[in-house]
Amino acid sequence: MSERTVAVASSVGLHARPASLFSQAAAKVGVPVTLTSAAGKTVNAASILGVLSLGIGHGDVVTLAADGDEADTALDALAELLNTDLDKD
Amino acid sequence: MSNETDPTPASLSALLAETSIRLDLTASNKEDAIRQTGAALLEAGAIDASYTNAMLERERSVSTFVGEGVAIPHGTLSGKDSVINDALVVLRFPDGVDWDGNDVRVCVGIAARGNGHIALLSQLATVLLDPDRAAALRAATTSSLVYELLTPDPEDE
Repeated sequence: MSERTVAVASSVGLHARPASLFSQAAAKVGVPVTLTSAAGKTVNAASILGVLSLGIGHGDVVTLAADGDEADTALDALAELLNTDLDKD
Repeated sequence: MSNETDPTPASLSALLAETSIRLDLTASNKEDAIRQTGAALLEAGAIDASYTNAMLERERSVSTFVGEGVAIPHGTLSGKDSVINDALVVLRFPDGVDWDGNDVRVCVGIAARGNGHIALLSQLATVLLDPDRAAALRAATTSSLVYELLTPDPEDE
């Protein structure tokens, strides 16, 4: 199991637009990725409803996890996405 | 002003007026459905008229379809100034609306100042993650059932 712990950079948190972009990216990485909130709730990172249900705000720390050969590449890409402000209009 | 540390965010059902639940609508397309959602928020006194354009702008930027036949049209960050009071509206389109190839039956319109939308979206997503509740919402024909469905089950938290 590989993990990345990241503080969410989007100024409005992981809500509709950043959550959509993130879960779409998670669905494309080729391995199942989970997203866990600081409160300990874990969801499928590729599920926009799952991501939204966590109610993640700006600066909240989340953990990404995945298994398999592709896990590190996938997690690096998704962690980079969370490190980016996805809500710049 | 936003209050990010507010420990008791308003619940979905508390922000939903009975007159803001419209269960038997038709829309010719996605833009029409968004305009109707904006009109319902305007009638609820939640927004000024410019917010609907912010909703359309957001939709062009990224789809607000979230799965389970539900879309959550809302404004861009720059539309926040158009929000007067936090509110929710629920519009049901029994015949469906083509949402970029997805079949949308329910639009939940959200207007929230500050970071209020994060807690609201979290509550709504938690409701929709339950497939039975989501199906019941798509089929709801009474406002009392909509209220019941949008009140999150405490055991899910």
